Amino acid sequence: MSPFTAEDERYLERMAVRIRKSVVRQIKAGKAGHLGGALSIADILSCLYFRISKVDPANPGWRERDRVVLSAGHKCLALYAVLAEKGFFDANILDSFGSLGSRLPGHPDMHKLPGVETSTGALGHGLSIAGGMALGLRMDGLGAKVYVIMGDGELAEGSNWEAAAAASHHRLDNLVVFVDRNGFQICGKTVEVMSYEPLARRWEAFGWSVREINGHDIRQTVETVSSVPFEPGRPSLIIANTVKAKGLGFAENTLSSHYWRVTAEEMALAEKDLAEMERRVGA
Amino acid sequence: MSVKKPPIKVFGEALVEAGARNPNIVVLSADSSSGSGLGPFKEKFPERHFEFGIMEQGIIGYASGLATTGKIPFVAAIGPFVTARPFEMFRNDLGYMRQNVKVVGRCAGMTYSTFGPTHQSLEDVAIVRTIPGVVVLSPGDPVTITKATLAAAEHRGPVYMRIGSPDMPVLHPEDLDFRIGRGVEMLDGPDGTIIGTGMVLHRAREAVEILAKQGIKLRLIDIHTIKPLDREIVLKAARETGRIVTVEEHYTFGGLGSAVAELLATEHPTPMKILGVNDQFAGNGPYEELLGLYGLLGHQIAETVRDFLKH
Repeated sequence: MSPFTAEDERYLERMAVRIRKSVVRQIKAGKAGHLGGALSIADILSCLYFRISKVDPANPGWRERDRVVLSAGHKCLALYAVLAEKGFFDANILDSFGSLGSRLPGHPDMHKLPGVETSTGALGHGLSIAGGMALGLRMDGLGAKVYVIMGDGELAEGSNWEAAAAASHHRLDNLVVFVDRNGFQICGKTVEVMSYEPLARRWEAFGWSVREINGHDIRQTVETVSSVPFEPGRPSLIIANTVKAKGLGFAENTLSSHYWRVTAEEMALAEKDLAEMERRVGA
Repeated sequence: MSVKKPPIKVFGEALVEAGARNPNIVVLSADSSSGSGLGPFKEKFPERHFEFGIMEQGIIGYASGLATTGKIPFVAAIGPFVTARPFEMFRNDLGYMRQNVKVVGRCAGMTYSTFGPTHQSLEDVAIVRTIPGVVVLSPGDPVTITKATLAAAEHRGPVYMRIGSPDMPVLHPEDLDFRIGRGVEMLDGPDGTIIGTGMVLHRAREAVEILAKQGIKLRLIDIHTIKPLDREIVLKAARETGRIVTVEEHYTFGGLGSAVAELLATEHPTPMKILGVNDQFAGNGPYEELLGLYGLLGHQIAETVRDFLKH
C-alpha cells in the first residue's frame, strides 16, 4: 500500500464528517434513531471503506472482496452513510429512513441493500458469522480479510466468547475485530452495567493479538489496521477507545444519545456542530 | 417386517456421497460429528471437516458465514442442541440471512429415551417451522433418509432435518421418486387416512396393517417434508377419505398435526386426530415403553384410530 500522507489523512477526516452528516440526515428523516454508536464508529468506517478494505461498489458480490461485518447492527446508520458515500447505492435512499418498507431498516438487512454483508441487530451474532467468512475465504485461498465492528456492551453476549475461542483455535488471522469502546450502553456505563474489563487481557487469554487505539485518530487507526495480522496465526483485536455521539457537543458521552428522538433545538445544535466540523476539515 | 438400518449411519453415508458429488459441502461438528455418523466424512474429506467443540450457538453463525462464501455447511448434533439451544442463530443467521446451511438434529423425538427431556426433542419441528424459508424434513425410513440428505445438499437455502437413532425398517423402494415438499401415498383405502412422519412412520404403517385385518381399509401417507407441506396430497386425502389422523414423535402442537390442521381448518374442515406427546416433558425409560406411555406403538395407534372412526 502507498504511504499514508497528510493529504490522505485529511481526506479520511472529510469522509468521516460526511458520514456523520449522513447519520444526522437519516435521523432527521426518520425523526429518531441510534445516534451515539453510529457516530462513535464514523472514523473507523471512514478508514475501512476509504483506505483499507477492498470492495467494489459496481460488483458488491465480488468473490475476493474484504468483508465488513457490523456486529453491533444498531450502528447501521453509519454503515448506510458510508456505503452511500462509496457509491453502493443512491444517497437519496438515505432520506427514506423510518418510512414503511424503507431499504434502511433500523438494523441492517443484507437483502435490502448492496454492500451490507450480514443481517445483524441481535447482538452476539456478527463475530461467529465473520469467523465463518474468514474460514471460507481461507479455504478458497483468497487473501481477503474480514473486519468486524462490535460494541463494548455487546461483549456480555456469551456467544461472542464462543466465537472468539473458535477463531483462535482455527488460527483465523484474516479476521480483524474492532471493539468500539464508547463506554456506554442503554442502562449506563458499560463497566458498571456488566464489565468485561480488562478487555485486552481477556481477549489475549482467548488467543487473540490485541492493540489499543484512539478510534477517532485517523492516522493511528489506519496504521494499526494496516499491520494486521499483528501475529501470524492469530486473529487481531483492536480496542478502539471512542466517544459516544462523537462530534455533537450536546450528545457526546451521554446515555440519551444511544437513541435520539429528535427535537428542533437539538437538531439545530447538531447541524451547527456539523457545519463547524466541515469548516475545520475543509470538506 | 423388512430389513432394519441405523438412521444415523445411513445419514453419514449419504453425506459422504453428497460430499463426493459437491466439493463445497463442509461439515461442522460441535463435538458431535462422530455421534452423528460423520466419521466417514471426516475420514474421506478431512480438509472439509471442522471441529468447534461444544459450541452450539456460535457454530450456527460460523456455518452461516461459511455459506456466504459459497460453502454448503452441514451441522449435525443432538436435536435440541441445534434447534432450541441456538434458535435465534437459526432464525437470524440462517433464516433471515437465507443462507445455504443444512442442520441435522439426530436422536430427535424421544429416541434418547433414557437420557430424559434435556436430550429429547419434541418441539424442534414446532420452533423451526416458524422460520420463514426453512425446509423441514422428517424422513421415516432409511431410503428417504438417504434421499433427503442428497436433496437437502442440492436444495439452495436453509434446511432442517430430524432423524432418530434406533434402527428403522426400510419402508420405501430404492427407486422412490423423492422430492422435497411432495408426500408419498404408501397404501390406499377408503375408510380414512393416517399421515405419518419420521421415526414413527413404520408404527403408523403397522397400525394400518392391523386395521386392514379387521376390515378397516386406510390410506397411509408419508409426509417426509413438513415444510413446505404437500397441500394437495393432504386435501385429496381429506376429500376422498373424510377422516385424518396424524402420527408423529413430537408434541401434538406445532408439528405435523398442527401443519395439517392449519391447512384443513381453513380449506377443507375435516375430523382429525393428532397423535403425539401431549403438553408435558416426556420422562425417561426404555424407548418402546416411553412410546407406549403416549400411545405411539402400532397396536395403540390402531386402537385409537378404530375408536376415532366409529364417531
